[in-house]
Amino acid sequence: MIEIQGITKRYNKHIFALKGIEASLKERVTTVIGRNGAGKTTLIRILSTQLFPSSGTALIEGFDILKETKKVRQLISSIPQEAQLIGILSPLEQMQLYLMARGFSTSQAKEESKDALDELELYDFRNAPSDTLSGGMKRKVFVAMALAAKAPVIFLDEPTTGLDPLSRIEVWSAIKRLSSKIILTTHYMEEAQELSNEVVVIDQGKIITQGTVNNLLSTFNGKMRAEKLDGEEFDIKIANVAIKYIEQDRVDEFLRKGYDIKRINLDDIFLSKGVSLES
Amino acid sequence: MNPKFILFFAWYYGFYVVLRGPSYLLASLSLPLTLLFMVTIFTHGTLIAFAIAGGPIAIVAANSINGAADAAFFRIQIRIQDLFVATSITSQDYMFALSLSYLVFSLPGIILYGILGSYLRVFSLNSAPWIIGVLVLLTLTISNLSFIIAGLLKHIRNVWGITAILSIIMTVLPPTFYPYSYLPNWILYVLSISPVTPAAVLLQGIVGLERIQYWMLAILFFETVVLTLLGRKFIRWRE
Repeated sequence: MIEIQGITKRYNKHIFALKGIEASLKERVTTVIGRNGAGKTTLIRILSTQLFPSSGTALIEGFDILKETKKVRQLISSIPQEAQLIGILSPLEQMQLYLMARGFSTSQAKEESKDALDELELYDFRNAPSDTLSGGMKRKVFVAMALAAKAPVIFLDEPTTGLDPLSRIEVWSAIKRLSSKIILTTHYMEEAQELSNEVVVIDQGKIITQGTVNNLLSTFNGKMRAEKLDGEEFDIKIANVAIKYIEQDRVDEFLRKGYDIKRINLDDIFLSKGVSLES
Repeated sequence: MNPKFILFFAWYYGFYVVLRGPSYLLASLSLPLTLLFMVTIFTHGTLIAFAIAGGPIAIVAANSINGAADAAFFRIQIRIQDLFVATSITSQDYMFALSLSYLVFSLPGIILYGILGSYLRVFSLNSAPWIIGVLVLLTLTISNLSFIIAGLLKHIRNVWGITAILSIIMTVLPPTFYPYSYLPNWILYVLSISPVTPAAVLLQGIVGLERIQYWMLAILFFETVVLTLLGRKFIRWRE
């Protein structure tokens, strides 16, 4: 379990990245969603002991990230959002280095690396210099690192950004097979829906809602989303798109008015909480 | 301390860069070899022994100072440092691994100068352990200076300019390619701010080209300790 206790991160007198975050993350896969600059990466960096909070702390499986850093680092594997491979080294070499940094023996690091690369269909590229791989393949190497690390808690900061749809499905499948506790951030609502047992929505450094996907969606009581460019009836308007949440029996009426009708998904949690999505 | 990680990192990032990016190796050799040529021509060969003795110093110093670009690139741009922060290794392991990789990367140049120096009887087998000791100390000292520079940078764009300037200043100004006795004492003291100066003075003494100045060993040790402590502070391991 991860217990976040009043974490604040302040960069100067006026700029707060996180404002007193309190949360208990008990589920196996928790997804943190939010806009760019909402504080997702800052939270992940603090939890994975890469960044000090200005105040507050967190317990990872009972260990304090500030007082018991060494123990926490043995438990976690964290893949930074903007991490890129060292171009001149091969995926296998970099995975071995990462696993040895985590305390694996040389032979164990090699075997686990090969298995993880194989699982993500990168085995044939294991010895190629990384700068010859595509962007998606490079990203998958980092996911392979997290897989191979077999850490009890894994932090993945936007693991599928830049991946094509097929590679994304491969990564999802790998994540689903992990038995570790996973905290991931994403911009993709379908990813959060596909993978998460629990979703935490962050906006401007605060948690604005948290719960299982089903619980969060149930607040809409079976409603549908009707949306239309320059529509006259709306609950929310983003740019010129009018969005109206309607009962099932009004679907035909709104279709006649030229609205598109969509199923409720996690986008709507975002919208209904006053957070606008990026285009 | 994780010696396995340190050794593998040093080998991978030192040796494979030589193997897969030989242009970097040639670039690192171009300045000392050019200066060796010029010193030989301009002094009609009388100072060739100094230019050969200074070659390994210049190679190690330039490669280690260029490490600032690596350290900044790993921290700011490709976030490899962050990846390693959340593991069992310490900042010292990471710094030592990077430093050692610069020494491995410098090995072909050191060997080339070793062969040249042996052929021209500048280096002897007896002096080899002392020379290696000075080169290891110099690598550690300058690498730590690199980590300080890298830690102070907020953006990557200036790092290549800074390292290029420092590399020239640190390798050409100190008595790397000429006898230290040519310098007035006060200039030698001023130049001793750069760890290259005590290393070059020591090396000229070790190979018997000049009188050995033992107090320079104290200065080099002092600078190694101070820069190592500062490097640990400025590396921004956990920001």
